[in-house]
This record gives sequence, structure tokens and C-alpha cells, in this order.
Amino acid sequence: MAKLTIPAQELMYPGHAACPGCGAALAMRLLLKGLGPRTILSIPACCWTVIATPYPTTALGVAVLDSAFEATGASISGLRAGADALGLKDVNIVGFAGDGGTADIGLQALSGMLERRTNAIYVMYDNEAYMNTGIQRSGATPWGAWTTTTPTVHGHPGKPELKKDMMGIVLAHRPAYAATLNPSFAEDFERKVERARDIVGPRFLHILAPCPPGWKFDSAQTIALGRLATDTGIFPLYEVVEGRLRVTRKTGSLKPVSEYLTAQGRFRHLKPEDIERIQVGVRATWEELLKREREDLSRAMTPSAPAPAEATLAAK
Amino acid sequence: MIEIRFHGRGGQGAVIAAELLAQAAFLDGKMPQSFPFFGVERRGAPVTAYARIDDKPIGLRTSIVAPDVVVVLDPGLLATTRVTDGIKPGGLLLVNTHRGPESLAAPPGVRRAVVDATRIALSHGLGTTMMPIVNTAVLGALARATGAVSLEGLTRAVEQFVPARPQDNRFAARDGYLGVRIEAASEAASGAAAAAPAAPARPRVLPEGPVASLSSEAIDTAAWRTFTPVIHLDRCTKCNFCWKFCPDDAIEFDDVGFPKIRLDYCKGCGICAAECPPKTIEMVATEI
Repeated sequence: MAKLTIPAQELMYPGHAACPGCGAALAMRLLLKGLGPRTILSIPACCWTVIATPYPTTALGVAVLDSAFEATGASISGLRAGADALGLKDVNIVGFAGDGGTADIGLQALSGMLERRTNAIYVMYDNEAYMNTGIQRSGATPWGAWTTTTPTVHGHPGKPELKKDMMGIVLAHRPAYAATLNPSFAEDFERKVERARDIVGPRFLHILAPCPPGWKFDSAQTIALGRLATDTGIFPLYEVVEGRLRVTRKTGSLKPVSEYLTAQGRFRHLKPEDIERIQVGVRATWEELLKREREDLSRAMTPSAPAPAEATLAAK
Repeated sequence: MIEIRFHGRGGQGAVIAAELLAQAAFLDGKMPQSFPFFGVERRGAPVTAYARIDDKPIGLRTSIVAPDVVVVLDPGLLATTRVTDGIKPGGLLLVNTHRGPESLAAPPGVRRAVVDATRIALSHGLGTTMMPIVNTAVLGALARATGAVSLEGLTRAVEQFVPARPQDNRFAARDGYLGVRIEAASEAASGAAAAAPAAPARPRVLPEGPVASLSSEAIDTAAWRTFTPVIHLDRCTKCNFCWKFCPDDAIEFDDVGFPKIRLDYCKGCGICAAECPPKTIEMVATEI
């Protein structure tokens, strides 16, 4: 057998109830490969509540707490306190929530968990709308996208607001580790999961989860579309370790965003000027990322620079 | 009262079909009801929906276990789902297939009818080859085969309640009405229909309890599939991309490291075929 580039262990079982070509299913499979069996998941209301447990079975080879929609962050603080009380030192405590349960409904619990500096990993798998209930817009739905609650008929423009910057919100809490992950880049994905697993303190993983029925594309294109999301700069891959940002995939020049947008039915109505507006925003965000990376690097190279406050606190 | 049970897949329009049928019956002056079976309505998953039609108000609110008519929107379901369970003697089985009625397995005394709704739907541009929207063509066939609703009522219901492309859907209903093939009652009564056995029930003893303790591998999702990946091993380089990107963990390796599809679980998404660098994987329409 050729050498495997990602761990062989499988802790997500087939027979689960995800749609064909589901990006969130692949995200879970890859995540558990990196975390291993000593993991406790807390899953609030989201697609994965339904995917995981066609009664009386479970598709997950790890313990799962079925938590309330708004409570993922609080529940993992509690799970960690419980694990500590029992003297369990080698378990990963992981919240696994969708974008609605993170950017909208569970935002305060996430903020609380980060502020308490709970030693746990919070994962947001981002399919950019409330897909489980039938494609309603969330705070993480991108500008201009069609959903059932942001129509595109009779002059309606799709979602009129911008996508909420969850990484920005999380980074303002100075987490021990935060990263963006994309299943289309499975090796980079696993490296980040393993890195997060081995760091102590509050950690946040933002995973892109392409959704064939919700984004309106052919299920065979999940990986190709995910790749385009990163290579156009729509979903850049980076990580922030103890306050220092590093972009983990650079391709020289970004592909035009139109390649990503025109491959999906939810953006079909966009006019050339709309696409140009998105292109301008993506370019600006990308430049900002590269600038921050350069600044963080030069600060790290300066010997007199004080260590970021969170680095010492995170060790607690 | 006539009781009709629909079998389809998530995304195919079975629930809408039951609803449209009820609307059509209402426009005909009847007293209908319709409702879906609430299960996991994922794209591709088997879905059941019900409709009842009577001349007087219907008090019954239960799901239909002894239908007069069974409608199957996807012939792939015949191999995995016991669609004719409980069907009444003298009842009717209507299947969307390009084959003749004699190809269908049905209990003795059940009349068989077929309509090539996939071809009709695609000829009017409804849905895609992977997922044709066949419900209006099937309803046209049902109107003719059962007389449960009139073509006029159905046409008006399509015009009023189908949000997308009402005209193409109206034409599809008409073509289904004209294109349905029904076996004569005498042939059905002779028992010739029982030639082939119905799909066997998968023996499935699942423990019940407050904690889900069984792996989901006990559940087979092969019925979700409309296209099946076939790996041409002569060109396979064992790069493992198909395995790496499979969202269903439906690929394993044989003794010498070649990938193998776990056909009980593959949902036919096509990712492996799209991502295979030497393009050795082909998606083949599941032959019924």
C-alpha cells in the first residue's frame, strides 16, 4: 500500500445520515483521525445531531454529549471541569458546532469559554447557513448568497449583510491556538488538528464545510470547490499560535473569485459588479493577512519583544 | 376512500407529489389529505409520503400500512425497500421505469403500471440526469391509472402550487398521463406477477435503549445511490485520494493495497471519481 498522508484510524463510521458529498461529514472524519479515541465531543443542534445518530446507532467512535443549541462553549467548560475532577488528563474536550450554533446562537457561550481560558477545542464547521433546517441564512452566510430567507427574486439581492468574521472575534479573546481548516487540503487539516490537540488552553478551529444541496452544486465537486475557496482567497488557510499568525497556503497569485462563485447556484444571480465588489474585499483581506504575518514575524525576530500575555496565561 | 403511498428519495419530490395529488383532488371537489413520513430527509435518502382521497371528510390520521396504490418514483428503491408491503389485493403498483410492467415483482392480484417519468422529466428540462424531478410526470400517470384525480384537476394544481416552471411541469403531467402503461386486470389476477420475489427484508435486530450503543455500520445506505463508482484497477496508482476524500468512509483497501468500494455504504456522491488523478474511477448508472 502506498504511504498514507493522513492517519489511518477511522472513528467516524459509515451508515451515517449525511447527504452525499457532505463537507461536514468529511470534516468530522478528518478531525477524529487527528484527535484519536480519547475524545469527548459536545454537539449542539446542527446537521451533525442528525448525521451522527440514526437511532439506535451512532456514527461516532467517541463519547458524545448532545448539548443545547446556545450552550456548546459552556458545555465544554463543564466537561473539562468534570474531567479534571475525575483526574482524566489525556482526554480531548471538543465542542463541535455549526456556524449558526457558533456565530449566532452560541456566540456568548463561546466567548465565555474563551474568556475562562477553558482547556478545550471549539470547532465551528461552517456550511454558511442553517442547513439542517433547510438553508436559512446565518451570521456566517456570505454577502450576496441565496438562502431560503435571503431570496433573489423580485429584486432581492440575496444576503445583504457581510459574513461575520468569526476568526476576528475569536482572536480578540487571545486564544492559545486558532486556525482555519479546509478538508480539501487534508494534510494541512491534519497537521492543524494535531497541533491543536497538543496545545493547552482555549483553541478554535474554523472548518469550511461545502454543502452540495445548500450551495447548489454537484456532490462530486465538494473537494474541487473547497480547493477553489482557498485558492481564490475566499477562505484563506492560516493559523495563529500564541498571537503569531502564519498563512499556511500561498499560491503565488490568487485565482479570480468568479471561478468559485459561478460554480455555485447560490451565487448564480450575481452581476459582474457584485462579483467585482467581492473580489475587492477578498483582495483587501488577503493583503491584511499577509501584512499581519510579516509584522508578527518581525516582532518574533526582535529579541527584546515581550512575550504576548496570552502565551504565559495559556499554560494554565 | 383510496389510500396512496409514495416511495421516493429526498430531493426527488415525493412529499410534494403527495401534496400536489391532494390539491388536485381538492380542486376536483374531493376531500383529500396528505403528509410525509418524518424520517431523515437527506438528499438521496429513501422517503415515504402518503395521500388519502375520499368523497367525505376523512377522520383517519395514521400513516398508511395497507395502501390501495403504491407509487415508486425511483426504480432503484425496488431492490432495497419493500415497497409493496401491505398493498391490498386488487391494488395497483405504479413505478417510474423504462421497462415494461411485466418486469415488476408484485404480490398476486396486484396490477402493475409503469411510466418512463425520468425520460419525460428530462425531455422538459426538469432536474438533472443525476436527480430528475419526476413527480409531475408520475402524477399524470397516476391520474390515468387510478382515476383518483382528473387530468384537469392535476393541471390546475400544478399551475397553482408548483413554484418553478409550471408550464414544463404541466406538460410532464400530460406526457405521464399519455405514456403510462398498465397491465390488464386479468393478467394480474392470474398471479403471473408473483414471478420474481420481492426484495428480501434485511434481517436487522437493533437493540433499543436510552444510549445509542451500536455502530451506524448496521445501517446500509446503498439505497441512496443512483450512480455507482467502478474502479478500473489497471490504471490505479494506489494514491489513496479516493479514500482520503470519501465523506462516508466507504472505501477500504484489499490485501495488495488497491482501493475497494464498500457498496453497502457508498451514497454515490462521485467525489472519488472527480478527485482520482489518473481518472480510473467511473460513475455508472445503477442498473435496475
